[in-house]
Amino acid sequence: MTGASAVEDIVKSEYEHGFTTQIESDTLPPGLDEEVVRAISQRKGEPEFMTEQRLKAYRHWLTMREPEWAAVDYPRIDFQAISYYSAPKRPEDMPKSLDEIDPLLLETYNKLGIPIEEQKALAGIAVDAVFDSVSVATTFRATLAEAGVIFCSISEALHDYPELVKPYLGTVVPYTDNFYACLNAAVFSDGTFVYVPKGVRCPMELSTYFRINARNTGQFERTLIVAEAGSYVSYLEGCTAPQRDENQLHAAVVELIAMEDAEIKYSTVQNWYPGDAQGVGGIYNFVTKRGDCRGARSKISWTQVETGSAITWKYPSCILRGDGSVGEFYSVAVTKGRQQADTGTKMIHIGKNTSSTIVSKGISAGEGRQTYRGLVRIGQRAEGARNHTQCDSLLIGDRCAANTVPYIEVKNPSAKMEHEATTSKISDDQLFYCRSRGLTEEDAVSMIVNGFCKEVFNELPMEFAVEAQKLLSISLEGAVG
Amino acid sequence: MNAPLHSGLEYWLNAPDDGPDLAWLDERRHGARARLSARALPHSKQEAWRYTSLKSLLEQQFTAIDEPLSALQPEDLDTVLIPGFESHRLVLVNGRYAPELSMLGELPAGVRIGGLRDWLQHDPESLRGQLDAALGDSEAFFATLNSAGLDDGLVVWLERGAVLERPIELIHLSVGLDEPRVAQPRHLVHLEAGAQARLIERYVSLGEALYCTNAVMEVVLGRDAVLKHERLQMESRNAFHLSGFYLLQDENSRYSGINIGLGARWARTDLNTRFRGEQAECVLHGLYLAGDGQLLDYHLDVEHAVPNCRSEENFKGLLTGQGRAVFDGRVLVAKSAQKSDAAMSNRNLMLSEQAEIDTKPQLEIYADDVRCSHGTTVGQIEPEMLFYLRSRGIDASQARRMLCLGFAGEVIDQLGVEAVREHVAAAVGQRLT
Amino acid sequence: MLSVKGLRANVGDKEILKGLDLEIGPGEVHAIMGPNGSGKSTLSHVLSGRDGYTVTAGSATFEGHDLLELEPEERAQLGLFLAFQYPVELPGVNNTYFLKAALNSLRKARGEPELDAVAFLRLIKEKLKILHLDDSLLKRAVNAGFSGGEKKRNEIFQMALLEPKFAILDETDSGLDIDALRVVAEGVNALRSPERSMIVVTHYQRLLDYIQPDYVHVLAHGRIIRSGGKELALELEEKGYGWIDAELAA
Repeated sequence: MTGASAVEDIVKSEYEHGFTTQIESDTLPPGLDEEVVRAISQRKGEPEFMTEQRLKAYRHWLTMREPEWAAVDYPRIDFQAISYYSAPKRPEDMPKSLDEIDPLLLETYNKLGIPIEEQKALAGIAVDAVFDSVSVATTFRATLAEAGVIFCSISEALHDYPELVKPYLGTVVPYTDNFYACLNAAVFSDGTFVYVPKGVRCPMELSTYFRINARNTGQFERTLIVAEAGSYVSYLEGCTAPQRDENQLHAAVVELIAMEDAEIKYSTVQNWYPGDAQGVGGIYNFVTKRGDCRGARSKISWTQVETGSAITWKYPSCILRGDGSVGEFYSVAVTKGRQQADTGTKMIHIGKNTSSTIVSKGISAGEGRQTYRGLVRIGQRAEGARNHTQCDSLLIGDRCAANTVPYIEVKNPSAKMEHEATTSKISDDQLFYCRSRGLTEEDAVSMIVNGFCKEVFNELPMEFAVEAQKLLSISLEGAVG
Repeated sequence: MNAPLHSGLEYWLNAPDDGPDLAWLDERRHGARARLSARALPHSKQEAWRYTSLKSLLEQQFTAIDEPLSALQPEDLDTVLIPGFESHRLVLVNGRYAPELSMLGELPAGVRIGGLRDWLQHDPESLRGQLDAALGDSEAFFATLNSAGLDDGLVVWLERGAVLERPIELIHLSVGLDEPRVAQPRHLVHLEAGAQARLIERYVSLGEALYCTNAVMEVVLGRDAVLKHERLQMESRNAFHLSGFYLLQDENSRYSGINIGLGARWARTDLNTRFRGEQAECVLHGLYLAGDGQLLDYHLDVEHAVPNCRSEENFKGLLTGQGRAVFDGRVLVAKSAQKSDAAMSNRNLMLSEQAEIDTKPQLEIYADDVRCSHGTTVGQIEPEMLFYLRSRGIDASQARRMLCLGFAGEVIDQLGVEAVREHVAAAVGQRLT
Repeated sequence: MLSVKGLRANVGDKEILKGLDLEIGPGEVHAIMGPNGSGKSTLSHVLSGRDGYTVTAGSATFEGHDLLELEPEERAQLGLFLAFQYPVELPGVNNTYFLKAALNSLRKARGEPELDAVAFLRLIKEKLKILHLDDSLLKRAVNAGFSGGEKKRNEIFQMALLEPKFAILDETDSGLDIDALRVVAEGVNALRSPERSMIVVTHYQRLLDYIQPDYVHVLAHGRIIRSGGKELALELEEKGYGWIDAELAA
């Protein structure tokens, strides 16, 4: 077997982005009770209604049980061992421009290969970089302000625009939704708020780079994007994390709301620390992402490239409420080493003539375990609903696993739904063909895998597509077989 | 001494104690019963029961049948028999083997067929290893319930190389009694190496009676054995139907099964296949037609436990009126099962506003050198097809009917005996008028 | 027999037919030629009653019946037949069953008794010969798994069986090699009679070497821009369709 040793190589390829930055953190001691919840709210100087909402969520959370249905195994999480708040030293003194940012932090980003300053000049991307749990850098505010687009941290938004946040926050993912979303509602640290007014096409791609840093700090991001009638926004999210020993819990909540004729494009490149070769120390990524197509002809499109985390539990979903609304889900997920991913989407068709597209590409190598879990529900009133699902798995090596678990529920006779799934390995013929044309085995694999994922990469904004391909190549380095 | 079972299922086990007295058999019944009482009733939080509620089943308070129904005369079968179909006919009435209604005919050497009760009385030891051979330690609730109430059924045993030309016809005939009764027959089919047979299993009733069938069939196919199996579920529209089918295949054996589901008010069918030897092949076809007030639920579980086997599942559904159907198919490819080839397809035509289909075709794959796929569609009659027929002068409703029959025909045409094929085609045609 | 006057039709918001006139008498064969996108297929579909087209103006009458008011099967029952450019596959629908249902529905509409199985089979075998088609066709599903040539021959075979008064052959030559074309053309020619009219829609002159039309019309931008005898087809063959735009621009 030519490929066997190469498979070992990929499995062993060390995490490129693993290092820790020394920054003093203002961190709450580990543990969770009502006092901690109050303290978080207080430190963030939140309005009273927020404190109340957090407490309500916390009390409900106490009554809930951790979900067990996903095909992932991990030791029980001790929620009292986690610290629920950590902020950089100067929370009140928020930087107004890059010059004010802690040089050590900038260096961290540079090491990660996220050149904020270059981005500003070259890519025209506004960056709201989250370091630990509080936003510390926001750029391109002026351009956005001119267009009337609000792009800021959730804490800021709660201060400055409570009238814009309150009617939407928690309406797509209520705190009762699931265990982790409920926890997030109680203790969320910070996150991003985007508001695009009526008829405005956001003048640039919005991007946030998340990064988990301080030890023992679970990250509980909260993102809310509201696109008013006829508006358009593209939001990019990417993450890396430093190498560390303890498992880190990440339980983010993302809510998207698209009104009539509005479109939201949400792209993610996720490359958190997956754990070492024994699977120790990786991130637990338990995320709730959901979009609500409230208005007629609105559109929400999720694109994700998931290569990191020890465990991923994530189902970016669309509620297709408005007539003629459109939901899309494009996903590439890579699991190698001991990584486990249970990911997919839900497309809930409620309105008439709604349509959804699901393209999921799973790549499993080493002892990676991957499950596509997707729900397509076509309600009784969803006249003329359409769904097409394509769900392919590629297996590299004989110790990995790929599962496909689609749920299809149709209650309307005019609906049309097609689901196709395949599972296969890279064929010897394909490899041989490439090699006989002079490609190395490694390049051939990379090429074939990139080809396998092309449909999804095509959906990413240009800058991200390049990054995603690079990430995939690094992930599969030496993964020949 | 036994803890009572949930929701009156206790009464499913009231079988009379006039059967064979065998300690090992009692032990198995008790074991099954103990496992049941330790377990919760199936509920919608369990993946296998996500879309199917037991509520209407449990409301009926079925009780086990305590004595064989002896009032039937051979001519009572007239409405049930398929004209022109010649078979080795075996009839079970309300779950009990009825030799007086059966027409076994002459069997070639090496073929033994008989009632399970009799067999246990005369040659119990031969069945000791056969019983549960394919079922194994299945956790399926109703199959375990069947084990706990094990009483009668059929045994079909073909010795090495035996070939049965004429089909075996197994008729489950249900006759309504004063109160709702449940029958739990258990069938054992064993084809030794190189044996070949065709088995046509029919579920029918006299009149539109309310009753429940909870049948389990275990099939073991030896090396190179070939079984063609056709199951026609045409129970009364008031009936509840549960059936568990457990198949174990040795090297190079071939199984082909066709499942037709037309009857019953509430039907749940579990088809389980496990490959024990390489180069074996299992093909499962299905056609279900769920109309007003019907729920038809199919669960497929195909386990590729060894390399180089092939499985194919092709199920088609027609939904009319307020019909509901569930298709839950799972293909599991174990770590060592390289070169597995599995293709699953489920296609549905929704023909009415109130119909509902829930489908869940799953792949669970732990080996890399495999070719697995599944496809599902839910849709309506294609307008182009309708137009083509209408452009040839055929009116819209007849055109629609033709297209539905054509859709169903792809499965019906697989039925191997012409008389049976026509019988099913007519029944489907009648349902689509 | 067929009279089309000022016919305008849309697909969605787009107007495809922009005032088309056509008069066809009994026994006449009219060729309609035109470049891609000129509206040839739209005309075939509108006349045969396919969904997806909105007629915004004009009329189409067939032997005094307002065609546009009728369902597709009613048009067929009046004796209209469309040979599809892309015959539709009907998996699982048996050919014999299909043909019998169609034939009997037309006979019923004409007040004739249904054919019994023997008479039907005799008729069908006779017609199969004309198209050099094999008996095995009868056991197969309609068009399912047929080659391109088989599908086209099957269309003409259906025409032979159903004996329409008026047939529209929609690009019956497309995708056919020369031998298959000859067989199809022979089949069509055998069906020519003083009572039966036809529209032969085609992109190429080639088919008209085999099926000689009485009239040739050039369809462009949704209208008939020139009409003439069969020599017009040769002229088109020589000049190509490029001159149309030149002429329209002039």
